[in-house]
Amino acid sequence: MIPNSFEYSAPASLSEALGLIAAGGKPLGGGMSLIPMMKLRLAAPEHLVDIGRLAELSYIRESAEGIHIGAGCTHFAVESSALLMGKCPLIAETAAYIGDIQVRNMGTIGGSVAHADPAADYPAALQALEATIVLKSAKKERKVSAAKFFIDTFTTALKEDEIVSEIIVPLEAGLTGTSYQKFLQPASGFAIVGVAARARREGGKISLIRVGVTGLSGNSFRATKVEEALLDSAGTDAEVTAAAAHATDGADASSDLHASAEYRSHLARVYTARAINAALSRTA
Amino acid sequence: MKVTGARELPIKPERAWELLQDPNVLSKAIPGCQSLVRIGDNQYELKLKMLLASLSGDFLGKVTLTDHEAPTKFRMIVEGSGKIGFLKGEGVLTLSSTPQGTEVAYDGEAQIGGKMASVGQRLVDTTAKLMIKRFFKKLVKQGFGQDPDMEDEEETDDV
Repeated sequence: MIPNSFEYSAPASLSEALGLIAAGGKPLGGGMSLIPMMKLRLAAPEHLVDIGRLAELSYIRESAEGIHIGAGCTHFAVESSALLMGKCPLIAETAAYIGDIQVRNMGTIGGSVAHADPAADYPAALQALEATIVLKSAKKERKVSAAKFFIDTFTTALKEDEIVSEIIVPLEAGLTGTSYQKFLQPASGFAIVGVAARARREGGKISLIRVGVTGLSGNSFRATKVEEALLDSAGTDAEVTAAAAHATDGADASSDLHASAEYRSHLARVYTARAINAALSRTA
Repeated sequence: MKVTGARELPIKPERAWELLQDPNVLSKAIPGCQSLVRIGDNQYELKLKMLLASLSGDFLGKVTLTDHEAPTKFRMIVEGSGKIGFLKGEGVLTLSSTPQGTEVAYDGEAQIGGKMASVGQRLVDTTAKLMIKRFFKKLVKQGFGQDPDMEDEEETDDV
């Protein structure tokens, strides 16, 4: 349980940090995934650059574009933000489901998103919110949609010299109803399946529906077949159940000792229906 | 753990067969392969550096290709071990012609043990699938004469 020796830097500014990362340093957020792997010697970075303490990355603020969540915000900061609870409750609700309170006090949204664990919670919400992920290197800044950012297990659009600097979620309180529903593995707290739904109803019909799924397969994804089936429907229980059956369409369900692929797929369909029903019940 | 699935490759079965038997191609297609050295008939010594995000591990092992029924079927046996664990896999690859090219179906059994399996059980399945996906992606790129390291170098906004 003792890691290989490594160098540690705690830069005082983001530009200094990005310089160290460009020179080969490995960014460290809250250390809730990387440090345990280092202790087991499954990971052995030579130089850690601690960006989890940078005040520059720790903010939640509103602009016309949406709500900007700095990568350094802890899950607890996201879960307890009055701004997010009021104007983008899905992301706050999702953060509250992560791990336990110790993990939520240390782990950061940027770290979790960059790590891209196939069973992490945020990806479901970010897919359903059609969130934007801002990536920064010493040279430049670019924006990537959640759909394009999450590529596969532990694989994202991030380049070696880039960090996740910010997440932008849409501002739409009052317009949509949202919900995150999770079946968790009790020992690790990771999602066996997690489903985030976002819905809008106009004139008794569903005018917008987005469903993000995590945990089912190697990567989070938008369940577009479910969305297509529900668009313009009234969203009755029967319609939701029928649409949710498509949650696993095209997904290569994972299997481990906690849940077989078949059981996971079943859970995904059940939790998709629950998330959609809960989201619909919260629409105005 | 069962490892089954199929990938469709946009190349003719004869070409796919050729690629799958060519150690130079395999060494470029196997994710993390450092070297693949012939040690006997259809037998190769494999040096592997697995890199997945911050996970990394070195493996030393052997790849054997056997039971050839050209150009449709052969068996691949991979075994390796390193500090973080060991892996052993054996499977039959079946090639069949399709309108788009070739379907390569694989049906095998893999065993992963040691530290990486005991602490990473939750991730073994998804990781194995990812490696297989990468393998076929790189294999196809080899078939088209492209450098597998030339990923999309798009650096603009991608929203």
